[in-house]
Parts: sequence; C-alpha cells; structure tokens
Amino acid sequence: MATLCKVVYRLRCGVRVTPSKFIQSSFCSDSSGASSSDQPAPERPKSGFAAAFDLQSELRREAESSAAGSSASSPVQKESFASLLRRSPLMQMGPPKDKVVIGRIFHVVQDDLYIDFGGKFHCVCQRPADGERLQRGTRVRLRLQDMELTSRFLGAATDTTLLEAQAFLLGPLESRETREPQSQD
Amino acid sequence: MRSSLTFQTSMAARALARGLCGLRPSRAVPVGCGHQYVTAAASVKPPQLQPEEVADQTLKKTLEKPDYFHVSELFSLKQLFDARVHLGHKKGCRHRLMEPYLYGCRLDQDIIDLDQTMEHLQQALNFTAHIAYRGGIILFVSRRRQFCHLVENTAKDCGEYAHTRYWRGGVLTNAHIQFGKGVRLPDLIIFLSTLNNVFEQHVGIRDAAKMNIPTVGVVDSNCNPCLVTYPVPGNDDTPAAMELYCRLFKMTINRAKDKRRQMELLQGLSASAPPSS
Repeated sequence: MATLCKVVYRLRCGVRVTPSKFIQSSFCSDSSGASSSDQPAPERPKSGFAAAFDLQSELRREAESSAAGSSASSPVQKESFASLLRRSPLMQMGPPKDKVVIGRIFHVVQDDLYIDFGGKFHCVCQRPADGERLQRGTRVRLRLQDMELTSRFLGAATDTTLLEAQAFLLGPLESRETREPQSQD
Repeated sequence: MRSSLTFQTSMAARALARGLCGLRPSRAVPVGCGHQYVTAAASVKPPQLQPEEVADQTLKKTLEKPDYFHVSELFSLKQLFDARVHLGHKKGCRHRLMEPYLYGCRLDQDIIDLDQTMEHLQQALNFTAHIAYRGGIILFVSRRRQFCHLVENTAKDCGEYAHTRYWRGGVLTNAHIQFGKGVRLPDLIIFLSTLNNVFEQHVGIRDAAKMNIPTVGVVDSNCNPCLVTYPVPGNDDTPAAMELYCRLFKMTINRAKDKRRQMELLQGLSASAPPSS
C-alpha cells in the first residue's frame, strides 16, 4: 500500500515535471551541446517519470525473480526421488491399517462408490443409507484397511490381486461446512 | 593427339560439372563446356541422385544428436511422482525380472525406481519420435478395460492406431491370410499395459518379437520385461499415470510429425528455389 502511494505521488509529480523536461531536451538537441548536458544528468537524482519508471521496473524484476526463483528452484535444487519419496504422505502415513484419509468419488454405479484416495488403487464402498448427497466429485472420509487386496492361493506362483484397496466409508467431509463461517469472520 | 585432347577436356568438364553439382544440388545441369557427349553424360547422373541424397541427409541429421526432438523436456521427476508412477504391486505379485528396476519395498508394497524410469522413458519417447518422424505406423495396445477409451482417443488424436480388444491369434504372425496380401504391419507397438485380462503376458509382445517389430511397454512390478525392446518400468494401474503416459506419447508423436512436415516444406522450398534463380 505504501509503495502504491509513493508511486502514485511520483507519477503525479512526473506529470507536472515532464513538459519542462521535454523543453529542456529539445533545447539540448538543438544546441548540440550534448556533452555538457550529459555530464550533470547522471549525477542528478532522477525525479518524476524517470524515477517512477525505475521503481516500477525494479518491482517487476523482483516479482519475476521471485516467480522464477520458485520455478527455477526445482531444476536448480532438483529434489531427488529419495527425498520426494521420504516426504510423501504415503511413506509418512506408515501402515495403512485403520488410518483415516480423505478420498474423492470418481465413479458411481448405482449403490457402489469408487473412491480414489491417492494410493495406487481406488476402493469401492457401498452407499450408506443416508448417503443421497454422495455423488461424483464428493470428498469423503475413509478408514483404510489395505492398500491392495492380494492373496496367495494354493498352487500359485504369485499372489492373485483384486486391483482394489479396502476401506470403510466414514462419511462425507462435513468439517468444511462448520469451518466456513469462521473464516469469513 | 586429337583423341588425347578431347579425353583431357572431357575429364575436366566432368570434374567441373560434378563440382558445380556438389555445390548447388539442382536439376538444371550447368553446361561448362561445349562437348555434346560430355554434357549428355553429365546430365544423366546428378538429377537422379539429388533428391535421394537430400532425403538421406535429412534422415541422418536427426541421428546426429542424442535427443533431437527434445523429449526430455516433456516430463520431469516431479510429474512422474505426482502421477504415482513409482507405486508397484505387493511383494507377493513381484516378477523376479523386475527386481533390478525396483527401488525397494515398503510395508510389502514395491516402489519402482523413478531415476531408472526417467532414463527408460526418455529412450522410449526418443525412439517413438524417430519412428513417427520417418512415417512409421504406431499401434497402441492395452487390454485394461478401464483405460480402453483413453488409449483409443490418444491414438485418434495423434493419427495412429490402437488395438484394445481381444487379440486374435494370428493378427501379426498370420496377417497375410487374415487380412489379405500386401498388409503393412505396424513399425512400432506401444503397450500401455503388458498384461492381458488374466494377468498373463500379452500375446502381442511375443508376436511382435517374432515379426521383428520393436515394442515399447510400460512394465509394472508384476510384468515380464524380457521381450519388450524399450521397457518403461512404471505403474499401469492408476488413471493419473495412464493419462500421463498417453499425453507424453501423443505429444512426442505430434512433435515428430510436425517436425517432419516442416522439413518437407523446407525441402520443397529449396528444391523449387534454384531453377527459378
């Protein structure tokens, strides 16, 4: 806000000063005494439009460098796969048994809700009795049991996988509705 | 004397014509000397070689750099990670030959090494781009019903082909009888999932190897990467990962085809320019 006021003030000054500056420059070009006029110009502190232009370009440069810094940091730092993995929520979670996660319904087949919670597989839950508002795109709370349902059967060389996770549906994400009036205040 | 003179002048004329032709490849032969039999000999050879030489040069130019189409710009490690490409199946489903591509196993779930995946994916995309540049037929194959529509749309968007239904026995090996004579087989087959519906290796991998067709395949931790020419170790079960692969292949193929059209336009311009000048 302060910089904005400063800029506006300087712009206003610039509007007043510019006509005189133009006249001065025209005199200089006519007289061709450019050498004499160039020497005091850098020593004089810039005012008016020149100062406003400098300030604005500096601000823009800073904004660009901060934006570039946030995007350039990833190729510059190049977070390794190991560090990405260690900091990922999946690793931080630990064993999936009885962990509460938030999922999103991405497909509905009558009473079956296909919920994606960020793991390799989705889970399929039955629509509860009061689940009329659970439609495609709803965020829900789940209690995970298993990330992938697999089992080794007799006589098999490898496990048989169901390509699904298992979770219990706790209900829609209601906490957001109670929080909204608080954030508005 | 007369014969030796004519021989020497004819040699000089031929050398001159060859030199001039080397400098400016054009159909019009610059007539250096006035000997009729020399100009006849000089006019026969160059016009036939020029278009072939130019075509060879453009093809060789693409092989000069390791990443001519800049496919490594299309994806990053963070993108692969966010698309959950590193997640594998459970330990019990692991294929023995996928062990070199795995980073480790966490709570019984295999984690695929994304550093290796980056290299393999870059090689696979680079190869796909070169095939598309040379006008090769690319076939997308996936037997996952969940992604069948996505794969077919990807193939349609890049002007290539897809086969996401039941694979009949002799589609590649018995093509001459099943589809008639003179059928052109694909030059590259991209498997977005190398398993079929009963978790066995897709028949197309074995058939493509039999017919000398190179394959690119996304191999999960329960797949056999043996016969795939350019395996890409990665997740093939999550929609985010599949969408990423489809997008990358589509962008690569379109990029290569655009480059080809550009080169053909340039060639057309350069071929038409000298006769007019």
